[in-house]
Amino acid sequence: MPGQLFRRKGFRTVGAAMVVASLIAAVHAATPAETQKARHEHYEELGKAFKAVRDQMTAGSPDYAALAKSADVVHKASIDQGKWFPKGTGPEAGKTRALAEIWSKPADFEAAQKMFEGRAPKLLAAAKARDVDAVKAAFKDVGGACKNCHDTFRSPEE
Amino acid sequence: MTEAVEPPSPSAGAALVRVWDVPTRVVHWSLVLLVVLSWWTAENGHMEWHRWSGYGLLALLIFRIFWGFAGSSTARFSDFVRGPRAIASHLRGGWTAAPGHNPLGALSVVALLVLLATQVVLGLFAVDVDGIESGPLSTFVSFETGRAAAQWHEGAFDVLSWLIGLHIIAVLYYWVVKKEKLIGAMVHGKRAYPEPLPQPLRPASALRLVLGVVIAAGITWMVTRAFQF
Repeated sequence: MPGQLFRRKGFRTVGAAMVVASLIAAVHAATPAETQKARHEHYEELGKAFKAVRDQMTAGSPDYAALAKSADVVHKASIDQGKWFPKGTGPEAGKTRALAEIWSKPADFEAAQKMFEGRAPKLLAAAKARDVDAVKAAFKDVGGACKNCHDTFRSPEE
Repeated sequence: MTEAVEPPSPSAGAALVRVWDVPTRVVHWSLVLLVVLSWWTAENGHMEWHRWSGYGLLALLIFRIFWGFAGSSTARFSDFVRGPRAIASHLRGGWTAAPGHNPLGALSVVALLVLLATQVVLGLFAVDVDGIESGPLSTFVSFETGRAAAQWHEGAFDVLSWLIGLHIIAVLYYWVVKKEKLIGAMVHGKRAYPEPLPQPLRPASALRLVLGVVIAAGITWMVTRAFQF
């Protein structure tokens, strides 16, 4: 029981230290390397969600709850991705497949992101409507938007 | 093959003997075509075609394995797969030529078939880094396993390329050094042998051919649908 735990003197100090540490963490701006790592994890999560959508849409009897949940992850990523590329987190900051063009052609990059943002809601809507054919069509469209951006702004796999 | 290749003109005391039946030859050259197509489509990101090419390879491999048990005599594994002693004897030149694979060539056939099958199976489970493109059976594995399959799929291709290279070098060696046109034999099915002529291949019935095609097409169709109907 945490309440009891912190009643003891030594643990109270530990508890206070933890509060301070989390406050510092909240104020502390992420380093470029941390941003790159977090970005990588975001995209990995997106890839997993995308696979999960595909798994359900090709299943004989889809798990519609899982389908909607995964489509929601994709949809959220389409909104959040605008924040994943702050200046200074390109190839100059460490190992990343993000190309310098992201920052040298901001208008083009934004257009590519908007394409994803514009198509993802259709995937979510189709998943919520349990319309597998619409999910398949939207999956193809969203996948096209991913590729559109990757072709220009991501370096090829090693 | 658009170019007609002339059968080897038999020298004195030699005659043409049927070595490879039609299904074996069609499978061989289809494999060549689809391996090249698979490589090209993967390199150029045409993943829809890459999947179709892979399905084609899967069907061919299933048929070839079936044919290795039920096909014509020279296509059967029991006819050409030999132990190390036979291979050593062949290398010392102690093996008398009979229609079909020699003991060392048999090893290369088996290695190529095993690697091709491995390659195709890995492709069926592979997932790309974005979760966009994937093999039909990836639905049965996690994202991480699918990624591992994709990486092995890429690595296995390197091994396969080396083996194909070795296979081509061996065929060229026969052509240039031993003056035996193996490529022609794989196109028109016949090879020149000196007297006394060896037994030609014993063909398999058309019924078996139909059965093999149905089995290969059926299994492939089920795999493409991830066994969901």
